[in-house]
Amino acid sequence: MSVFESREIFKEVIVGFFNLLGDTPLVADKLMASKMVIRFIYSDPDLAVVVDCSGDAMDVRPDDTDTKALVEMSMKADIAHKFWFGKVNLTMALTRRQMVAKGPIPKILKLLPAIKPSYAMYPKYLDENGYSQYNIH
Amino acid sequence: MGGYAGNLLYVDLTNGQVQVKPLDMAFARENIGGLGIGTRIFLDLIKDKPQFEALSADNPFILMTGPLTGCGMDATARWSVCSKSPLTGYWGDANVGGHFGSRLKLAGYDGIVITGAAEKPVCLFINDQEVELRDASEYWGKDVYATTDALTKDFRDQSSKPGQVLTIGPAGEKQVRFANLINKKGHAAGRTGLGAVWGAKKLKAIYVAGSGELDIAQPEKLKALRKELKEVYADSIYISSIQSAGTPAHLDVGIIAGDIPIKNWQMSDWDEIDELGPASIEEKIHAGDRTCYACTVACKKNAEVKEGPFKTPKGPGPEYETVAAFGTMCLNSDIESVAKANEICNRYGLDTISCGATIAFAIDCFEDGLLTTQETDGLELRWGNSAAIVAMAEKIGKNEGFGAILAKGSVKAAEHIGKGADQYLTTVKGLESPMHDPRNTHGLGLAFGVSPRGACHEASLVYEVEGGAMYIPELPELAEDLPEGSRGRARLNVACQDYGMFFSHCAIFCNLGAAPLNATQAVAMLNHVTGFDYTLDEVMKIGRRIWYLKRGLTNLFGARAKDDRLPARLMTPLNEGPTQGSVPDMELMLKAFYKLRGLDEDGLPQEAVLRELGLADLADLLYPEAEQTALSSKEV
Repeated sequence: MSVFESREIFKEVIVGFFNLLGDTPLVADKLMASKMVIRFIYSDPDLAVVVDCSGDAMDVRPDDTDTKALVEMSMKADIAHKFWFGKVNLTMALTRRQMVAKGPIPKILKLLPAIKPSYAMYPKYLDENGYSQYNIH
Repeated sequence: MGGYAGNLLYVDLTNGQVQVKPLDMAFARENIGGLGIGTRIFLDLIKDKPQFEALSADNPFILMTGPLTGCGMDATARWSVCSKSPLTGYWGDANVGGHFGSRLKLAGYDGIVITGAAEKPVCLFINDQEVELRDASEYWGKDVYATTDALTKDFRDQSSKPGQVLTIGPAGEKQVRFANLINKKGHAAGRTGLGAVWGAKKLKAIYVAGSGELDIAQPEKLKALRKELKEVYADSIYISSIQSAGTPAHLDVGIIAGDIPIKNWQMSDWDEIDELGPASIEEKIHAGDRTCYACTVACKKNAEVKEGPFKTPKGPGPEYETVAAFGTMCLNSDIESVAKANEICNRYGLDTISCGATIAFAIDCFEDGLLTTQETDGLELRWGNSAAIVAMAEKIGKNEGFGAILAKGSVKAAEHIGKGADQYLTTVKGLESPMHDPRNTHGLGLAFGVSPRGACHEASLVYEVEGGAMYIPELPELAEDLPEGSRGRARLNVACQDYGMFFSHCAIFCNLGAAPLNATQAVAMLNHVTGFDYTLDEVMKIGRRIWYLKRGLTNLFGARAKDDRLPARLMTPLNEGPTQGSVPDMELMLKAFYKLRGLDEDGLPQEAVLRELGLADLADLLYPEAEQTALSSKEV
């Protein structure tokens, strides 16, 4: 059984978190510097979210399947949830295709140092926004 | 039969004789190549006199390619060396890429067996069938770069094709215990100090030029496999990452998991890590790409520091292990100083892991007041003092001042310093741990502990499998999703040792460039190249035998169960960071491992296990009383 009961709940949680990252200069400044447009394609529950760093501010657009993205990251919602806790062995997930990345890999990998602070932010975000039942820390 | 050149060179440095002996194909099939063949020959050479000093003429040195070396496929340029280690006193081996191995095959030789010791410096000249020992007095004292350039130039006119040079630097000549052997200025047979073995033998270098071709038994099948693998490689993010950033790509990934040792293993997270990471390397020192023979992965990078205190001419750049050893381990975030330390190690011929780790150990001693500038030749060995770190690396290479103390390795240095300095050691069986933290992946802790050559992340494939870079669906133990912690890791280790002995020690695939291959593809490549008909089950059995052989040799040189433990530094839980509170349960894992491997309480393979594997010679050496009893009953 997946962690999130419904698509709506997962959408609320993940979009809210991406928006928080966009409002956090420590993370957002480096992501914005990449100028990348990334589409996350989640399954179980199914959801597509575009994180657009090409403008002046980070734009998070759920259900956007039209925008041409430089990078597409596909994974189960549960894997994404674990990832933001820093609990996913990234190398293993990519090798075993639990996460599939399409696009310029070196550019994707350059984002890793940028998102590192977000691992500490995610559990706090869940607790502070009424999602503490999903906090596995 | 394809893949093999078909000959071995036997070089006796004491009497100057060189002999060419045909490689027995039944023997080759039984042991595949690389350390599979090297360990067998080593055992045969020492079994009549198994106790000897590593830096004596009695210590054989064996260089072996594998059947894939030089076959032209990606990630198959590697070859191996083995001998008794002057750093640890136990079994020593090292694995290296570059171009030397393939050139040796094209000259007509699968390996070189070197015995004895010369009275004055010599080098071995190989140009196809022309093989001779030559006076190397004029090269003795030159660094690796100068020797490589000089021999390449001096011998070019006497060679059918341009040659490759494998050489030691001044560190090897002075028998620094972690001196290495280097091909093409940056491809190092790094670990366990086998450069010092050459120094003791007064062997400065081997030059090889070859004009032959390597036969491939089933070229059409190999071509089809190449096509299949092209897609596998194109789809591999792991390959993309090392192609773009080289092995330092791991700095971005490893820090998330807590795999990178920082401040001599006292931290697993650090605000300044990005100063050493791929982005910083690209901005400050990157100077182009390099590759091993015929490998399109091209994970090697050049480095250059154009100005400043760490000015470094363009040359082979630091690998991940080097960045961590001289960077994170020493709390040194100056990537230019790491490039300089790397160049010093390459020129002097020093293993960067042991060198950086030994300096980090010395800094720890200095910071805690066990050393002062009086002992360290005036150098303030403080965390992050990049100038002092670089200066000490050079002193080690020169074997001078306090550098001469550290040049014996951190264990001997701790004995010299006293005052409890051993609490700062990071060694297993005398070998400094590589830059991967078992508090992140517990199975790696067991791998470090039971590795025959001492703390090592490449003695099996545990690091690659548990760390996630390799996935072998044909072997359940290498495909399981193990829970966090130490459970199941003994079984993982056994399978990763057996498969790893086949994969990276005998066939000699590169653990990095060949990471995307599954077992079916790996065995198929070996069969297509050699024409043999190995099965996965068969190569696992061969791998198992080779593992016991290496384990038995290290036991023969004195290692026992107590030497399978991790040092206190690696067993101390950290208070923060990704591995907070985590330490491997070594007792749990060792108990299960000993049972699975049939090791006795002393850590020795049981006699029956060895005999069943066809290792009667080794059993006789480890159990001389049993052999004597058997002989006596025969006489009766």
